[in-house]
Amino acid sequence: MITLTSVTKLYNEGRPNEVQALKGIDLEIARDAITVLKGPSGSGKTTLLSIVACMARPTTGRVTLDGEVVSGLPERFLTELRRTTFGFVFQRFNLIRGLSVIENVMLPAAPLGGDHATVRERALERLAALDLADKATMPVEFLSGGETQRAAIARALINDAPIVIADEPTANLDTELTMRFLEIVRALRAEGKTVIMTSHDPRIWDAEGVDAVVEMRDGAIFGEFA
Amino acid sequence: MTPWLRRQRALADYTLASLARRKGKNIALVAVYAIVVFVLASAMFFAASLRLETSAVLRDAPEVTVQKITMGRQDLIDGAVADEIGKIRGVTSAKPRLWGYYYDRIVGANYTVMVPDDPEMIPEPGSVIVGEGIPRARGFKWSGAPLFLSRYEGDLKRFNVARAFESDSALMTSDLMLMNETDFRDFFEIPAGLYTDVVATVRNPNEVATIVEKGSNALPQMRFVTRSDIERTYQKLFDWREGLLAALAAAGILAFVIFAAEKASGLSAEEMREIGILKAVGWDTRDVIAMKLWEGGLVSLGAFLLGTVTAFAHVFFFGAPLFAPILKGWAVIYPDFALAPHVDGLELLTLALLTIVPYIAATLVPIWRVASGDPDAVMR
Repeated sequence: MITLTSVTKLYNEGRPNEVQALKGIDLEIARDAITVLKGPSGSGKTTLLSIVACMARPTTGRVTLDGEVVSGLPERFLTELRRTTFGFVFQRFNLIRGLSVIENVMLPAAPLGGDHATVRERALERLAALDLADKATMPVEFLSGGETQRAAIARALINDAPIVIADEPTANLDTELTMRFLEIVRALRAEGKTVIMTSHDPRIWDAEGVDAVVEMRDGAIFGEFA
Repeated sequence: MTPWLRRQRALADYTLASLARRKGKNIALVAVYAIVVFVLASAMFFAASLRLETSAVLRDAPEVTVQKITMGRQDLIDGAVADEIGKIRGVTSAKPRLWGYYYDRIVGANYTVMVPDDPEMIPEPGSVIVGEGIPRARGFKWSGAPLFLSRYEGDLKRFNVARAFESDSALMTSDLMLMNETDFRDFFEIPAGLYTDVVATVRNPNEVATIVEKGSNALPQMRFVTRSDIERTYQKLFDWREGLLAALAAAGILAFVIFAAEKASGLSAEEMREIGILKAVGWDTRDVIAMKLWEGGLVSLGAFLLGTVTAFAHVFFFGAPLFAPILKGWAVIYPDFALAPHVDGLELLTLALLTIVPYIAATLVPIWRVASGDPDAVMR
């Protein structure tokens, strides 16, 4: 279980351009489930996801992961969690241009000091499972939208993280690719992974297999649906 | 392989792939960097080698040279002074010397004219032995061509060139011309019994100071110059010339530091985004810094090696054609000789530290500032 208690987030704190992105969020996100955070742009979905994924710290409030408080941990422990617990699929996928698909996929494994050949083999397996094995050595800028997304998913899975976080994963995809993505998500869920996504796409929150939908507006939770 | 080494390998792999992405920019950076190192290293190698060569040549020079000073200028010295110096305890021998300079108006060059001490080197009457620079300056096309010297308008003296020196000793002999005593006195109109200076050899080098003191007391109108004085003058001359080139290179370094600092301080949005991605996927600040250390190390060490090796080849294989006029001296006759390769390890290490460390530091600080933030903040 991931629990957020009275979580607020201020950007540019104390400056004239201060923004309150989250306002006292209390939320429980179940493990072994697919949870979707929905809401319009600027509702705080991405900020909430960043805090859950240990990429940002709340300004106030507390976040626990399986009972352990993670919101106050020093940076190196948060990094350790990002490495081992979370796999992140960014809104614009954020693959590093100029590098090949496999180099991008292997990036999260670099600091772990694993055997190069083993990591490469695992990356190729992940790519093969997502029908990208033949594009492994291609620079990422030559991939199509759907291929880029699958490369980003392969990267999120390289360290075998139990929680996969995806920020607006279908924002730029057509219906066919969106359906393909949902199949992958269901497959991950079947493997026992927890999936947390943000989306303002009804195809996502109405999709089969989604266990919980949390609606957000103006930095607050507007409603929760199972 | 330990996990630490595997991690370093993975970071180095990423760095190489990352550098290869901006090939043009990085090649230009390494090239500018290597040119700065090349100029500095060339000056350093050249001067170190010249100093070594000068020391080697002066090793056989007499310990003390005595000159007569009249009105603050060097004057001709009486040959009898040599006998007086020879009587000072500790002096092995004292001999008067005849030497002077001749300005060759035809080519606009100065020659050093000497009467040799070694009987084997004394040329026949009407003949001279010359350094390799003189036939070159005169443009002699064949050996055996006579050398005509003119002291003033309407004057012409003919000498046969008995032989020329090898270029092994060219640093010291390039502009040298040896004559016998009669020809010398005749050519320069020096009265018999007068000489240019007197040189003395000393049995124990530790006694040079005492001998100079005794000689100065006995012959107060004479100036005593020791071999170490001459050596020091040469060293200073070469140091000064090296310094001149180093000052030029310093301007280059300064420009480079500004360039590196500018590049480093203004991390592009692309670089900041990349650091954000790396942190978001599980790299921590140390990983990012280690990767940037690899990058800085590869760029600066690569440029340093490239610059140093090119400078070595430039100086020792090609005779430093780019900087020789400054480093050898401003003259019409440049010595033509191959420098013995000599590398001063300490100087090389200093150069390495002066070029590699500032670059890495200049690039690392802003990276650390960006990388130590939350990945979420970095990406916004």
